[in-house]
Amino acid sequence: MQRLRPGPVVAVGTIAFLALLVPLFGLDNPLHMDIAHRLAQPTLAHPLGQDAYGRDVLARLLWGARVSLAVASSSSALACLVGTALGLAGGFLRGPVEFLALRGMDVVLCFPPLLLALLVVTLLGPGAPTLIPLLAVLYLPGFVRVVYAGVLSVRTQDYVEAMRSLGAGRLRIMLGTILPNVGGPVLVQFSIAAASAVVLESGLSFLGLGVVPPAPSWGLMIGEARATMMQAPLLLLWPCLALSVTILALNALCDALRDAVDPHGITRRRRHGGLLDRLAPGLLPAPGAALELAGLTIAIDTPSGPIHPVRDVSLRVMPHETLALVGESGSGKSLTGLATMGLLPPIARVAGGAAWIEGRDVLRLDEAALRRLRGATVAMIFQDPLSSLNPVQRIATQIGEAVQAHARSPAKATWRRAVELLRHVGIPDPERRAHNFPHEMSGGMRQRAMIAMAIANQPRLLIADEPTTALDVTIQAQVLELLAALRRESGMALIFITHSLPVVAEIADRVAVMYAGEIVEQGRVAEVFARPLHPYTAALLASVPREDGSLAEAIPGTVPPPYALPPGCAFAPRCRFARADCSSGTLALTEVMAERLTRCRRWSDLA
Amino acid sequence: MLFVLKRIGVSVLLVWVVATIVFLAIRMVPGDPATILLSQGGVAPDPAAVAQLRIQLGLNQPLGMQYVADMHRLLVGDLGQSLQDQTPVAGEILRRLPRTLELIGAAAVLAVLLGLPAGLLAAIRRGGAFDRIASWLAAVALAVPIFVVGTLMVAIFAQGLHWAPAGGYVSFARHPLRHLELLAMPAATIAIGLAAILFRMTRAAVLDVSMRDYIRTARAKGVAPRRILARHVLRNALMPIVTVLALNLGSLLGGTVLVEYVFNWPGLSGLLVDAVNARDYPEVQGVVLVISVLFVALNLVVDLLYALLDPRVRHG
Ligand code: SF4
Repeated sequence: MQRLRPGPVVAVGTIAFLALLVPLFGLDNPLHMDIAHRLAQPTLAHPLGQDAYGRDVLARLLWGARVSLAVASSSSALACLVGTALGLAGGFLRGPVEFLALRGMDVVLCFPPLLLALLVVTLLGPGAPTLIPLLAVLYLPGFVRVVYAGVLSVRTQDYVEAMRSLGAGRLRIMLGTILPNVGGPVLVQFSIAAASAVVLESGLSFLGLGVVPPAPSWGLMIGEARATMMQAPLLLLWPCLALSVTILALNALCDALRDAVDPHGITRRRRHGGLLDRLAPGLLPAPGAALELAGLTIAIDTPSGPIHPVRDVSLRVMPHETLALVGESGSGKSLTGLATMGLLPPIARVAGGAAWIEGRDVLRLDEAALRRLRGATVAMIFQDPLSSLNPVQRIATQIGEAVQAHARSPAKATWRRAVELLRHVGIPDPERRAHNFPHEMSGGMRQRAMIAMAIANQPRLLIADEPTTALDVTIQAQVLELLAALRRESGMALIFITHSLPVVAEIADRVAVMYAGEIVEQGRVAEVFARPLHPYTAALLASVPREDGSLAEAIPGTVPPPYALPPGCAFAPRCRFARADCSSGTLALTEVMAERLTRCRRWSDLA
Repeated sequence: MLFVLKRIGVSVLLVWVVATIVFLAIRMVPGDPATILLSQGGVAPDPAAVAQLRIQLGLNQPLGMQYVADMHRLLVGDLGQSLQDQTPVAGEILRRLPRTLELIGAAAVLAVLLGLPAGLLAAIRRGGAFDRIASWLAAVALAVPIFVVGTLMVAIFAQGLHWAPAGGYVSFARHPLRHLELLAMPAATIAIGLAAILFRMTRAAVLDVSMRDYIRTARAKGVAPRRILARHVLRNALMPIVTVLALNLGSLLGGTVLVEYVFNWPGLSGLLVDAVNARDYPEVQGVVLVISVLFVALNLVVDLLYALLDPRVRHG
């Protein structure tokens, strides 16, 4: 759970406190009438004046808070108890109990709330004894659903299974494991129920069908003040204000609780800094390179200062060449690809370095210039083709959009071009397939469509971010073949981001291995695989499943997160060759042999 | 097609369940329903009147028979007679229903015109001045109950400034301008809360969709921002917005009770409040049934609309 914003809690607490302590304030009896002073102006004894029956307005206002909050909290509490029990029972016992609990709630939701309330009031008459169970029933579905969903998600988790196999009683499992897990959402639900109970109670009282007069209630007070609104407009204003402020506070509390319970933390985002130029190395790109990265560093601003998930990444890709960017998840390889496209997620920003695409530094281009570059000179395909395609657009429309983004093209011709591209990437029956929505295609077909989209404008550089990870092995091989063929015929440069070494061996000319945000080794694939010059590369190679079935060696430990990098060599904690001096100073990526770069102090001891 | 049939089937089932519950509700109350309905202020009712009411409500027959008879009457559109003046309930409902629907429709149009563009603008300029002011206004609008908005409107615009009549109704046919004048305030009252909900939903949906992978794909293709907004973001954000709008229109069917009461708008809800006060059960039953059926129908329309907007649903 995140931290709860204190403002709303204080506001609701103050209102509840006032309501609880009213009897101690020594106010007038809120029911005491004084017809002689009806609608009297404020006096010392009656700071807010007197109402149409001469009753003290301040007293009625504060006692009204008591009535409102009492009805709201007791009905929400009742709904919470019953709803939690029903949700637990439904989720855990399953079978008919589950059916009854869930369908029963659907039925409650069939009626607009105020209507159901009116129906019940007709039968049972107005008053708090009717109101509380009635409101409880109305808010039951929320609790049942939240708890039920919580049980479902927890039930499948291993530890409930484990506890069950250990023989813990069912009831104990339910209460011990599940309740703390659904506590947050239930609390949110409680605040929602309380807020809307206040609204509904006041509405019913306003109609004269809720709290029975002469008891003080805000809704009733507003209803009564309507008759005298010309003579005494303030009589109307006070309860309106009290009611609205209370609901505002309760709503704010709901939002605060929801934010606190929400597992997705909120990270502050910041605009691109002007630091860029200062940090840029004053180098010029190699002539002819399709892409050259120099010292690329990416920062994410967190409440406790910036972290750097990508640091000092330099690499070069020539036309006709395929470079593989390899690393475990969290190594920064995807962020590197996205930065090159100017597509970093909003929380991340470029903190330094340069990225030249055919001689132009894309990190310094404005959005309009970037847009002209993206999809034309440089294109990208993503890991998950299903989520990366618009679910509500036909496939040819989406491909055509890539064409139209960079050239005027009439609709008919665009569609024909899209069909042609689909045929080009090997989709059978492309005329028919063009009309498909993404969900109507297979995974491999979707990835082919993504590729068609990417090559629509014959880019000079194609960045493929794990394009085969979501596919099964056969399809994977076909997609790799397609990419290789496309590269051969067009001469574009290809950056292939992957975590799979066998895929690297199959497709790439050169490889750059990334670890914890840095490139640790770079070189020609055959040479690197034959003789790795960095312990991490060696360990990665050793961890690839063998064809002869003998056990692969897993690398001990995990990749350090960018907020907890060890000093010196980032790989030192997991390195078999680590010495004391590895954990100090900075290590540079050095060219130790022709076209072989490594970031290790002991590379020469490795062979 | 199968999807549509399935959805219609479920809706019919729901209507049946609602009718059954309304039927059972009066019979599940402890004590004799006729006696309860006729008791006012704790005075024991006249036994002859009770006996007569029992016959009129059919309470003297076995429960099963009552149920069959009741369902049969509902099927042919007979909602029984009012206990107050013995007129058919269905006729009165039919006369008042269009007025309520007009009110809701006008409010919905106003709310969409206000909430949707505001939400979009706030999402695009997230964190900017407009976003902050509009979000704050929406929070306030959501906190003020609908009858408070209505009452304050009457106090300010009718009683204080004399800009508009405090309430009432004339038919459009008789006096078109006056009709619209009388419609304005109640419709605006409903629209304020609805617009706030729509604003929030639009803002959230647009922000959510903007984070999706396919938006990144569109950007990677070099598509212009305006087109991304129109063709990718809005289209996909529309689905949650439509759902929220429809669900809230549903609860508005109930919520108009208060607005119609405040502005003396002779719609369905006024009828309902009068009937509740007079404990006129057949009339209450009739109105609740009709509104619930509308509610269910509205949900059906939403689901079908959803299928129209999202090709995935049609196959699911
Ligand atoms: S520098 Fe030291 S710790 Fe790092 S990889 Fe080389 S040998 Fe291992």
